[in-house]
Amino acid sequence: MNRILAVARKEFLHILRDRRSLAVAVLMPLVMVLLYGAVIDMELRDLRVGVLDLDGGDRSRELLRATTSSGFIVEAERLHGRDEIEAGFRQGRIQAALVVPRGYGEDLARGEARVQVLVDGADASTAATVANYLQAVVALVNRDLLRDAGLAAPFGARTRVWFNPELVSARFVVPGLVALVLMMICALLTSIAITREKEAGTLEQILTTPVTPAQVIVGKVLPYVALGALDCAMVLMAGKWVFGVPMAGSWWLLAAYCLLFIVIALALGLLISARSPSLRVAMMAALMVTMLPTMILSGFVFPIASMPGPLQVVCRLLPATHFLVVLRGIMLKGQSWFPLQTAALVVMAAVLLTLAIRSFRLRLE
Amino acid sequence: MRALRCLVRKEFLQLRRDTALLRVVFVLPIFQLLVLSYALNSDLRNVRVGTLDEDRTALSRLVLDAFPASDVFVAGPAARDAAELEALLQAGACDLAVRVPAGFERDVAAGRTPSVGIDVDGTNSSLAGRGAGYAGAIVMREAERFAAANAGPAASVPRVATVVRFLYNPELESRLFMVPGVIVMLVTIISALATGMAVVREKELGTLDQVLVTPLTPLQYVVGKTLPFGLIALVDLALATLFARVWFHVPMLGSPWVLLLGVLAYLLVTLGLGLLASAASNTQQQAMFTVWFFLVFAIMLSGFFFPVDNMPEWARWLTRVNPMRYFMDIVRGVLLRGAGLADLAGELLTLLGMGVAAFGGAVVAFRREGVRG
Amino acid sequence: MSREAAVFARGLTRRFGDFTAVESLDLEVASGEIFGFLGANGAGKTTAIRMLCGLLPPSGGEARVAGCRVGRDTAALKRRIGYMSQRFSLYEDLTVLENLEFFGGVYGLGRAELAVRADELLPRLGLDADRGRLTGSLPLGYKQRLSLGCALAHRPQVLFLDEPTGGVDPVARRSFWDLIYEQAAAGVTVFVTTHYMDEAEYCGRVSIMVQGKIVALDTPSGLKARTGGADMQDVFLRLVDA
Repeated sequence: MNRILAVARKEFLHILRDRRSLAVAVLMPLVMVLLYGAVIDMELRDLRVGVLDLDGGDRSRELLRATTSSGFIVEAERLHGRDEIEAGFRQGRIQAALVVPRGYGEDLARGEARVQVLVDGADASTAATVANYLQAVVALVNRDLLRDAGLAAPFGARTRVWFNPELVSARFVVPGLVALVLMMICALLTSIAITREKEAGTLEQILTTPVTPAQVIVGKVLPYVALGALDCAMVLMAGKWVFGVPMAGSWWLLAAYCLLFIVIALALGLLISARSPSLRVAMMAALMVTMLPTMILSGFVFPIASMPGPLQVVCRLLPATHFLVVLRGIMLKGQSWFPLQTAALVVMAAVLLTLAIRSFRLRLE
Repeated sequence: MRALRCLVRKEFLQLRRDTALLRVVFVLPIFQLLVLSYALNSDLRNVRVGTLDEDRTALSRLVLDAFPASDVFVAGPAARDAAELEALLQAGACDLAVRVPAGFERDVAAGRTPSVGIDVDGTNSSLAGRGAGYAGAIVMREAERFAAANAGPAASVPRVATVVRFLYNPELESRLFMVPGVIVMLVTIISALATGMAVVREKELGTLDQVLVTPLTPLQYVVGKTLPFGLIALVDLALATLFARVWFHVPMLGSPWVLLLGVLAYLLVTLGLGLLASAASNTQQQAMFTVWFFLVFAIMLSGFFFPVDNMPEWARWLTRVNPMRYFMDIVRGVLLRGAGLADLAGELLTLLGMGVAAFGGAVVAFRREGVRG
Repeated sequence: MSREAAVFARGLTRRFGDFTAVESLDLEVASGEIFGFLGANGAGKTTAIRMLCGLLPPSGGEARVAGCRVGRDTAALKRRIGYMSQRFSLYEDLTVLENLEFFGGVYGLGRAELAVRADELLPRLGLDADRGRLTGSLPLGYKQRLSLGCALAHRPQVLFLDEPTGGVDPVARRSFWDLIYEQAAAGVTVFVTTHYMDEAEYCGRVSIMVQGKIVALDTPSGLKARTGGADMQDVFLRLVDA
């Protein structure tokens, strides 16, 4: 035990003396939360729309007024020709264009008029929503027309959002950030720690002492558990106090799962470091393996259900995916029973740890 | 010139022998491109709809059946009462719940305009808003269909119809949008990280002094160190773009030369910044952390994951100094919108300016480096 | 001396903040001389050498190496000197030949020239058979010789060797000094620092630095006479402990 603590203390000193790495490891998660919490808004607001009125009559002006008074659309730029539409898209000034054809007023008087909605499809993530919004605006106009004729629509919809009424993205994003931060930092730091000593030749030195490889590994990893826990706590606190991310469930339960996830991330770092011949390979591999997959495949931003079937399987093989379900469940819904996720996480931890230890034993022989 | 060629040759020799690094730098990105591009689908699909039919009439069934019939939604569990519906949402058994209240058909016939209740699980911001939007649109469409079918006075009221057309991406393939983004990110990660560590490594190994003593000027040294990784990044980019065209059918509407110009300008920036990080660090770990710090922010604020338009003013300013954002605009513009030199002049010049500044800074840093104790 | 000194320094000083690492160094080394630059650890030897090599600008005083002014004609200076650092700074993942080609090329030698030079140098260094071996796999003595070779490839006028024989066995050290003698005989000025006092005997003249200042500069026999020391080790201890 003493030996493990000796190794751990040395590792702590390393960490404390490398000011810049320490600053990044501690500050970055904090800055990320503060920045993204304030900045990320996944709801579409303030659309930029161009309008081309080829009719110019009263009814078309009514339509255009409805466009800007809808509340979704803030800027409605007046266009003067079809070529301006293309230009507007190409320069990224507008996201959609509403074209009112000549004869709109007469067509409407005769029963049905058509307007054209052109949407910048290159920005596919928002295109469909933009189209929806414009169609909703037109639907409102239709409703007004009905009302003017003294009639009512047959039925409507009343929407209510649960657990996050203003659709504050911070509540959704912060748990995701916790997972991302823990995964990246813990995996990265551990992979560096071991490989660095391998390269410097001091690992060999340590192994000439009575310390066993297992003790070295545990000792080296302990400070990073502490660092990971610190980062985790900071992100959660910042989320709670600055953005009001709720905590509907138990703090202890949350802490337990965070610890489990930290162990998984550390084991991953160990595995990478055991199989990397040099420091720069270890670092690049750790970064590439943790960053993009966690951002994209864990359900952080992109819903897993929308992905093709085989890929969904891959997603469920990622620890971050299950961790996110647990985090969101505890924090936002106050849940406490996660049989599937817990089993998955525990199995992953066991597998990774075993692989890491085995790889190390091989390496060191 | 001869000295520079020697330096570049040495760098390539060393690279060729480092098979592990080559794997990380070539194989891993392509693999990731493949997997991640399939994941990057912003089209909503398989949104589970829980239902509560308190009316149990033909009309209520009509409305509820419209949901699974759409592309977006799939049928979820049916609840027997309000409490159960709430429990379903709570447990995450469905993403959205539709509830037709008792007396619905009767109220419609009497002209009382009842409402269908749509309850959305707000915890999943990535689909809550859009899902609610689509659900609302479905109900509205059913209402219009009902009104048209049961002609009568409503039939004579004028109405406006919309014809929607998606330019540049008629099928709204979100992949077209995402794949260029992934390519940008991969290239950035590789070029910045690799360069970031390149010089520090020499510092750590002790060979830096040996090199500084030679007639190599700081500029030659800087160019020699970055050329190999610049070339690797170019190769990666070419491979990835080829892959994107052949496998994902991402088009190339604009000129490849404009794209190349954009790539070169962008590489100037990433390599220059990587070098600056290297000059400012004493160990490889420090260099990597410094690069990583800025990399994560650049990625998050590039407009790829989260729309830039929604960000507050001060955040949008930050994106304006983010080179990745300009490069993304260039790549998307050229590939998907056929934008030309004139359209993208602003972005190109900005990148060029940033690149020159970064490289200049690196040269200055190394001049000082050679003179420090 | 009628000819200009190969290495000349007057009042050469270097300060780091409050700390003066090198104080008012005066010396003159003739062309073809083997000059030993001794001193305890931390006495300022490495700082002095780095100034003379153009790696560090002086805080005061002046110096000229191979006719070039230190701190001013840096580009020309670098072309005329060779430097072998304490750590043998070689690229472990390059072969013997590739290391030589790199350093030679960086000094401006063309491909044809390099080939000829390699054929000249490698046998003399005893490394011809190992041309294609990765430097990382060589024993320390071989690396040392390769490092010297890399410093010599471009035929420098002055050779600066910073503790070139550290950690190498006595036989290898002996043969290394044979190489140094060869260079000196060919007219190359050798400026060498060392901790091995027996090596100090091989030098034409020797200087001893204590805390940034040169406290003695003479031939080995001159120093022994002055201090009454039996050998250079004795001389050193007497001067440094004083």
